[in-house]
Amino acid sequence: MVKSVAVTGLGCISALGHDVNQFWGALCNGETGIRPLTNMPLESLKIKACAQIQNYNSLHFFSNEELPYLDKFSQYAIITAREAIVDAGLEAAEIHNAACVVGTGCGGKETDEEAYQKLYKEGKTRAHPLTIPKGMPSAAAVQVSMHMGISGPVFSVASACASAAHATASALAMIRSGLVEVAIVVGTDAPFTYGLIKAWEGLRVLSPDTCRPFSKNRSGMVLGEGAGAVVLESLEHAKKRGAPIYAELAGCGMSADAGHITDPSSDGAARAIKAALDDASMNPGDVDYVNAHGTGTKANDVSETQALHQVFGGHAAQLMVSGTKSMHGHPLGAAGALELVATVLAIKNGIVPPTANFTEAGEGCDLDYVPNQAREKRIKSAVSNSFAFGGLNAVLAIRAMDGA
Amino acid sequence: MRQNIENAVINIIAKHKKLDPSVITNDALLVDLGLTSLDAITIMYDLEEKFDVEVTDETLLELRSVHDIIEGIAGLTSGKE
Repeated sequence: MVKSVAVTGLGCISALGHDVNQFWGALCNGETGIRPLTNMPLESLKIKACAQIQNYNSLHFFSNEELPYLDKFSQYAIITAREAIVDAGLEAAEIHNAACVVGTGCGGKETDEEAYQKLYKEGKTRAHPLTIPKGMPSAAAVQVSMHMGISGPVFSVASACASAAHATASALAMIRSGLVEVAIVVGTDAPFTYGLIKAWEGLRVLSPDTCRPFSKNRSGMVLGEGAGAVVLESLEHAKKRGAPIYAELAGCGMSADAGHITDPSSDGAARAIKAALDDASMNPGDVDYVNAHGTGTKANDVSETQALHQVFGGHAAQLMVSGTKSMHGHPLGAAGALELVATVLAIKNGIVPPTANFTEAGEGCDLDYVPNQAREKRIKSAVSNSFAFGGLNAVLAIRAMDGA
Repeated sequence: MRQNIENAVINIIAKHKKLDPSVITNDALLVDLGLTSLDAITIMYDLEEKFDVEVTDETLLELRSVHDIIEGIAGLTSGKE
């Protein structure tokens, strides 16, 4: 029999605030964290809107001695991992042998770009010795492990916008196999660097104003930043220590389109959703809520809607589907983690966060997108979709824990 | 210049290791000051930037004391004054 896996701790930092309470409060109020871009040379950027963390001062979280080793994406990862571990009530000894899997789409871009700026632009001849250990894509995983004393399996997962969902899937597999009892999953990204924004501009998928998933006048995605973290543990372990349980991580499904580098395939997405339901032993009719990938791009939102029709058939009309990127933006490798936190809290609290900025349904977007207002509704089962460039799809199935 | 180099070496080590500069003597061994190899290359990076010199990997491996660093930098800067 497959082991049940419980979600027992949550952590968040995003444009919606520095912790889970602020994040959830904003989601319930339909508040958007999308604002004009700051701290950037705006005159040479076309993009003006973004979902940046507000009032972030790294010295509130880290000492002067620690900061030289911490790229922003590592800082966010540590902040949220710590919040989730404290939330789960886990002591140092209980996480010593735990796993830690960190999803990131970008890695330490701030560190890399600072080094390149000095070399290419300022004509320096040497790079700072910490450029590699601080900027490497695994740096956040390393730093969470060092700061929290996690010494079991620790590694990074990179699948662009599906990184956190793939990281969660690996952690789920490790707990089910008995390799570990506890796993801390983090998704993190800090993409507000000049070069990376320019690279995103080049793709012409960024909205000039805001993110309106599934709306007729949607104009693209809005970049975000931050991290999300969850503590997963075997249900047996959680019950034994009397841990508070938010929900059950009931299953995951993964697929690859093996098609186009940027155009999504509804078939690929549908295969991942179906696989998650099968893995969780859920029937399509059991699902009440879908936290959509919902980027607000022309291509994604139609393709995702088609995939939901494909999997849920006649039940699709009963689903509540929300695109919370309308509020926290698209923080790339962190998105799946923030959305998992949102989905878990929707189940725990019986409140479905809305799709903010919704105007009128776009062509081919014919589902209940929970427009603009959160909805009080008991949710028994939900799925959270993450679909990345290159057609890498990862879907998580979450179920209310009886008696939790 | 020699005094400048001594001061810079001691101050950069002190800043990097959060030590009081007055406890860092010229004959102190780097290992006794708690310097790891990553500390050593980071300190050397700061000194290379400050004095616009290039310390070779071979030289770096031979450094044992504060005095060795001062001598090394002094040697590389001689003729630059």
